Amino acid sequence: MLTVDAIDTYYGEFQALEGVSLKVEKGQTVIVVGPNGAGKSTLLKTILGLQKARTGSIKFQDEEISGLAPHKVVERGISMVPEGGRVFPELSVQDNLRVGSYNPVARPNAQRQMEQIFSLFPILSDRKRQAAGSLSGGERQMLAIARILMSCPKLIMLDEPSLGLAPLVVNMVFDFIQQMKKEGYAILLVEQNANKALKVADYAYLVESGKLVYEGDRDSFDKNPYIKTAYLGL
Amino acid sequence: MLEELLMAFINGILLGGVLALLAFGLNLIFGVVKIIHMAYGQFVMLGFYFIYYFHTAWHMPLLVAMGAGIVVMGLLGMLVQLLIINPLLNAPRLNQLLALASLIIVLENLAQVIWGADYRGIPISMPIIQFGDIFIRSSYLLAFLGAIATLGILYLFLHKTYFGLAIRSVAQDVEIAKGMGINPKVIYYITLAAGGALTGVVAAFFIPIYTVHPHFGASFTLMAFVIVVFGGMGNLMGGFISAFIIGVVTSITAVLTSTEVADILALVMFILMMMVRPQGILGAKA
Amino acid sequence: MIMKRNSTTSKIVTAGVLLIIALAPLLATSEYMVHIGTLILLWAFVSTAWAYMARFGLVSLGHGVFLGIGAYIPVMLFNYYGVSPWLGMLAGVGAAVLVASILGYACFRFGLIGDYFALVTLAMAEVVSLAIVACREVTGGSLGCTLKASVGWASFQFDDKRYFYYIIFAFLLLALYIWRLIDKSRMRLALTAIEESELAASSMGVSIIRFKMGITLLSAGLTAMGGVLYAQYVTYINPGTISGVGVSLSTCFKAILGGMFNIFGPLAGSAIMVSLEEYFRISFDTGFLGVSEIIFGVVLLVMIIFLPKGIVGSVSEWLNKRFGVARS
Repeated sequence: MLTVDAIDTYYGEFQALEGVSLKVEKGQTVIVVGPNGAGKSTLLKTILGLQKARTGSIKFQDEEISGLAPHKVVERGISMVPEGGRVFPELSVQDNLRVGSYNPVARPNAQRQMEQIFSLFPILSDRKRQAAGSLSGGERQMLAIARILMSCPKLIMLDEPSLGLAPLVVNMVFDFIQQMKKEGYAILLVEQNANKALKVADYAYLVESGKLVYEGDRDSFDKNPYIKTAYLGL
Repeated sequence: MLEELLMAFINGILLGGVLALLAFGLNLIFGVVKIIHMAYGQFVMLGFYFIYYFHTAWHMPLLVAMGAGIVVMGLLGMLVQLLIINPLLNAPRLNQLLALASLIIVLENLAQVIWGADYRGIPISMPIIQFGDIFIRSSYLLAFLGAIATLGILYLFLHKTYFGLAIRSVAQDVEIAKGMGINPKVIYYITLAAGGALTGVVAAFFIPIYTVHPHFGASFTLMAFVIVVFGGMGNLMGGFISAFIIGVVTSITAVLTSTEVADILALVMFILMMMVRPQGILGAKA
Repeated sequence: MIMKRNSTTSKIVTAGVLLIIALAPLLATSEYMVHIGTLILLWAFVSTAWAYMARFGLVSLGHGVFLGIGAYIPVMLFNYYGVSPWLGMLAGVGAAVLVASILGYACFRFGLIGDYFALVTLAMAEVVSLAIVACREVTGGSLGCTLKASVGWASFQFDDKRYFYYIIFAFLLLALYIWRLIDKSRMRLALTAIEESELAASSMGVSIIRFKMGITLLSAGLTAMGGVLYAQYVTYINPGTISGVGVSLSTCFKAILGGMFNIFGPLAGSAIMVSLEEYFRISFDTGFLGVSEIIFGVVLLVMIIFLPKGIVGSVSEWLNKRFGVARS
């Protein structure tokens, strides 16, 4: 579905990504792990179009999307849950969800999607009219994910969903990611917490200092001694 | 004396309503595009001139002329977005301010060249309503009611439509808004069009009340800023309340002393507010 | 100019520019040209003083306050009480510095920065302008007020414009010299740190208010002196031309168009703007009153959009790229 081929991304003179390639197939959950500052967020931002790759190509469903403006990438079915559970603080929970279906493709189903989401996330239903900024960290993360689901995406990208959340809440978040996996969404997940991420992964990439260092399925990651000590704390 | 004060109070409220429209436009533009439209009062001046021109030179019926004026001002807003604001979106704030300040010079002199420096107006006599010893001009009352109605429509637009939702999202977080498939440039154009059209609406309400001249906009621009910052920059509700407060205070002070002192008082209130609570009455939103 | 700070090229260029200015009146073909030169130097002086604050992020849109005070107080004192302009200027500059200290302290104490600071200064400029108009019995209101004629050093008025030219040039040299001093001093480091992060600066013991006040009082005092010089030279003042929003913004323009981070930026900007204003004023028929202003406004707009670093800033950047001189 998504093929990223040898992209380089720069912030000014600083090279954040160098020759990174990855693939996400339909219905697959792919994770990208690595230390802080490795360039994982930059990778997602480049795919979405918030950053431009200087070289390389990004193809989604056989269409070249590298260089497209973000709203056009979203139109084609890629959505991103940004880092830190960013929601629109002064919009109500309901309105936040509505923005999710701004995309003309998603709009006709908006009402139905919202009902479905309220049954999946009853806490959000309770807080329907509350300003999103008054929700707790975990609730905001849920809202951020739910909002993405409103846009009927084909590929969901998540940027560090566990960041800043208490362990119990992190478990809840990953339960939902499992749920989305069951629903058949293709997922590209970027995480510092390799332990949790590997449990939902079909395939994994390891990025360090902007470069792809290792890739493999869950088993090969589990068995690799360097990764075990460096990232899985074993 | 009491009747005079009461009338000043009422006039302050009535005109406050129209000032609230101006504050709304400025706040909308600042909240969404993050730019201070320095030449907003001059837009009102131009709106007035256009309506005058359409009615007297092209012989459009007055209401049609007003409609046309509103549309033209909306288009002018978009033109300013295209030519001035877009190139400066990432420029230092000072450059943005100075660019729009240059626009003031261009617009005022454009008006002077096209229509001359004399006062122009459309003489419309409207009845005066009397309550005992209190006289209220129906033109003021109409302007007030029209302003409130317009604000109501704008509120509905912002809260009940997808465009309104998009505008509010871009104002709060343009990055995630992009991630939702919203194209910020389109939203900026809509915002500037709405802001421009609003000046046309204000100009329409002013037709039975004032006569226009090229420097007509200057006093409104400053007052509009005072109101907007006093209420909290980018805060639509703050601007609304602030417009009435400033409107009433200046109106009553003008009756008790003079218009200059009233203006000075408004400015001093503004300066004090900045020092005590810079985010304004209800808090800034940008 | 970072590139040129220590090189001999910069010293030669500086000396060259100053020499040209010093010799210009001797080569001038008419009194009119000396007049234009004087105006350029005057506004260069004022906008340089303005830039002291702006280059550290303290953007004031209300320097008309100090210009107005500096212009009106000595004139009022001379016209009504015969007070010598030499004393009057002390009163004017002193009053401006006092006002700056009150307003500045209030702003900095309450942490007003950025947009809010700029808008508050704008409002203050209007207050002063309106106050001058309101006291019309004393000041003449919007019709302005003329300095009583009297010639000689005692009354600081001269028939020959060249006296003013060189006196104002001296003040400009002073302002430029102070700019260099600031560049080399601790003040510059402190203010740069404050601009980047007030929090970090204060946690390192930098007294934020003290430095901000220092640069503000300096800027205000020199600007007020500019007002004094204006009044003595032009001998006619009114609130529209020497106070209020218009002259405040015009001062900003001169510094920005030249390049506000560069020591000669305001001078270049003044030269351009004063020349442009004069050119448009005289070259168009009065039948088309206003057309010249429109073109002037459009030129300003175009320059702000396409030359965000100002003339000197852009030239300096181009030279750096072209000749690859390393930035220090």
